[in-house]
Amino acid sequence: MVVTAEEMVEIVRERGEVEAAKEVDIVTTGTFGAMCSSGAWLNFGHADPPIKMQRIWLNDVEAYTGVAAVDAYIGATQLSETHGFEYGGGHVIEDLVRGKEIKVRAIAYGTDCYPRKELETTVTKDDINQAVLCNPRNAYQSYVAATNSRDETIYTYMGTLLPNYGNVTYSGSGSLSPLHNDPNYETIGIGTRIFLGGAQGYIFWEGTQHAPTKAMGTIMTIGNLKEMDARYIRGVTVEKYGTSLYVGLGIPIPIINERVAKTTGISDGEIKTDLTDYGTPRRDRPILREVTYSELKSGKVEINGNEVLVSPMSSLKRAREIAGVLKKWIEEKRFFLSQPVEGLSTDQVFKPMKQIAGVPFVRDVMTREVVTAKPSDSIASAAKIFAKRNFDHLPIVDAKGRLVGIATSWDIAVAVGTGKKKLSEVLSSKVITAKEDEPVDAVARRLETHKISGVPVINARGELRGILTNQDLSKLLGGRGR
Amino acid sequence: MTRKVLLRYSTQKATEPILASVIKKTEILPNILYAELSTKGGEILLSIDAPDKEVDKTIALFKQKGVEVQEIKRAIELDRDSCFDCGACLSLCPTGALYMTDDKSVELDENKCIYCELCVPSCPVRALKLSKF
Ligand code: SF4
Ligand code: SF4
Repeated sequence: MVVTAEEMVEIVRERGEVEAAKEVDIVTTGTFGAMCSSGAWLNFGHADPPIKMQRIWLNDVEAYTGVAAVDAYIGATQLSETHGFEYGGGHVIEDLVRGKEIKVRAIAYGTDCYPRKELETTVTKDDINQAVLCNPRNAYQSYVAATNSRDETIYTYMGTLLPNYGNVTYSGSGSLSPLHNDPNYETIGIGTRIFLGGAQGYIFWEGTQHAPTKAMGTIMTIGNLKEMDARYIRGVTVEKYGTSLYVGLGIPIPIINERVAKTTGISDGEIKTDLTDYGTPRRDRPILREVTYSELKSGKVEINGNEVLVSPMSSLKRAREIAGVLKKWIEEKRFFLSQPVEGLSTDQVFKPMKQIAGVPFVRDVMTREVVTAKPSDSIASAAKIFAKRNFDHLPIVDAKGRLVGIATSWDIAVAVGTGKKKLSEVLSSKVITAKEDEPVDAVARRLETHKISGVPVINARGELRGILTNQDLSKLLGGRGR
Repeated sequence: MTRKVLLRYSTQKATEPILASVIKKTEILPNILYAELSTKGGEILLSIDAPDKEVDKTIALFKQKGVEVQEIKRAIELDRDSCFDCGACLSLCPTGALYMTDDKSVELDENKCIYCELCVPSCPVRALKLSKF
């Protein structure tokens, strides 16, 4: 009997894994989500006179041709040079699958054997030799759920995250997740035949960043793009982040023993992931708590006593559909399971990047001596401060040294003009701030997005510790030798 | 047919229970989609599900009472052919106009939409379109 992973959950719940192992032969899984680590190898054949492509653009999206003369790799996240975020490598791949015409432009330096220096043509998938979807990292076993502690909306690869824990996003199909159904890799390995983008593809290595000990295993996959179906291969734009490719992927799991029957029977309520704060732009982001997939799939998650709406990001409906299609293929003998020729590593560790230069933090570069004022101070005294010193921001603090607002030289000029008396009348209390232990790059980005020239630095208690300005940053950049 | 009207109150008017008296007179119960009231007056967005004539009468009544009325003629559309039910839009929709059905399809109830446009750029395949007339 062939069943989907969702059906298997019910079978194991009702009859236990021992009975399930006897009854069920194969469990099918599925996922349909953004897999940024996707791309396709294309071979265009030779032109006459021939060209050794040095750079190539497909619908204005650059592909990598640092290999043989007319081979190229188009990556899903590469952006169009004319349409930016609206069109990228993912869209080129979808258009190829759909049989659309792709505009090709290439340049070269020219050699004795490949004299041509420029080329322009159009191709469809039928005109080219190979079109092979080749994804270095797909089908994360599980992935974290995201939220945002900051007081501003942020745009991430996990989608749009509203301020103050305003929403939660996650990406993964839970009990349907392919690798999650065989976390010990007893049946999944190199050479496993899979559903890939509506065609039959293969796992050909462990995925990059494969981290089995952290339940974050991944696989490298390959399949014939020409046979794929645009229902399961879609180019997408992630708001203010970039482009990607949604890939439909399903793995059949033969129930070879009771252990595998048990892992395929795990329900959403038993699958946990970390609810993580993407408001902290660091490699190790703070974890709020553990959430189960049944909580996530319910559409609402509780954070600090509030019910927060959840966006799944990956399509549960289509994941279910894929598991169903794979089941049908197997039943109709159109898909045959393959035995892996080699297992996947079960102890591989995902190392962080080796960095040779230390990352500067706000506390290392901020200006500590800050002239401040109190809300009760007069506009006249503030005007004097601005006149005496060459700066733009006057932080305003209460008696305990806590930041209550900020006044700019412009605010003061306006206040003088309109006859205001006290700072409390003009200060803006909605201040964009930085924390001492933030990396400088994160704050530099904040200054850029808000088009401001400096931010007060505060500690956890809201007390003013210093100020970080563009000047501090440019000093630092000079020091870094950029 | 459901129509949407935006009421703008001035300071003094906001204190009068205009809405209540109009409801009493017309016996039509509008849906309040959104309301923002302050000391400077306020805005209320109503969706009124009634025959056109009745809606016209309601609008006239509000106008009589000195409320500024603006009919919102916009439409939001979810292109089912393009949408792949990823749900990216779900948590951004403040009114529940975008919701998930039991079979995990994403659907749009335009009657609840306040045209905030938050969902539009978040859709990875541009399946949500807002049009203004
Ligand atoms: S515009 Fe979009 S997000 Fe806003 S209410 Fe309408 S459906 Fe919801
Ligand atoms: S974000 Fe777009 S594709 Fe995803 S469910 Fe909403 S409308 Fe459909």
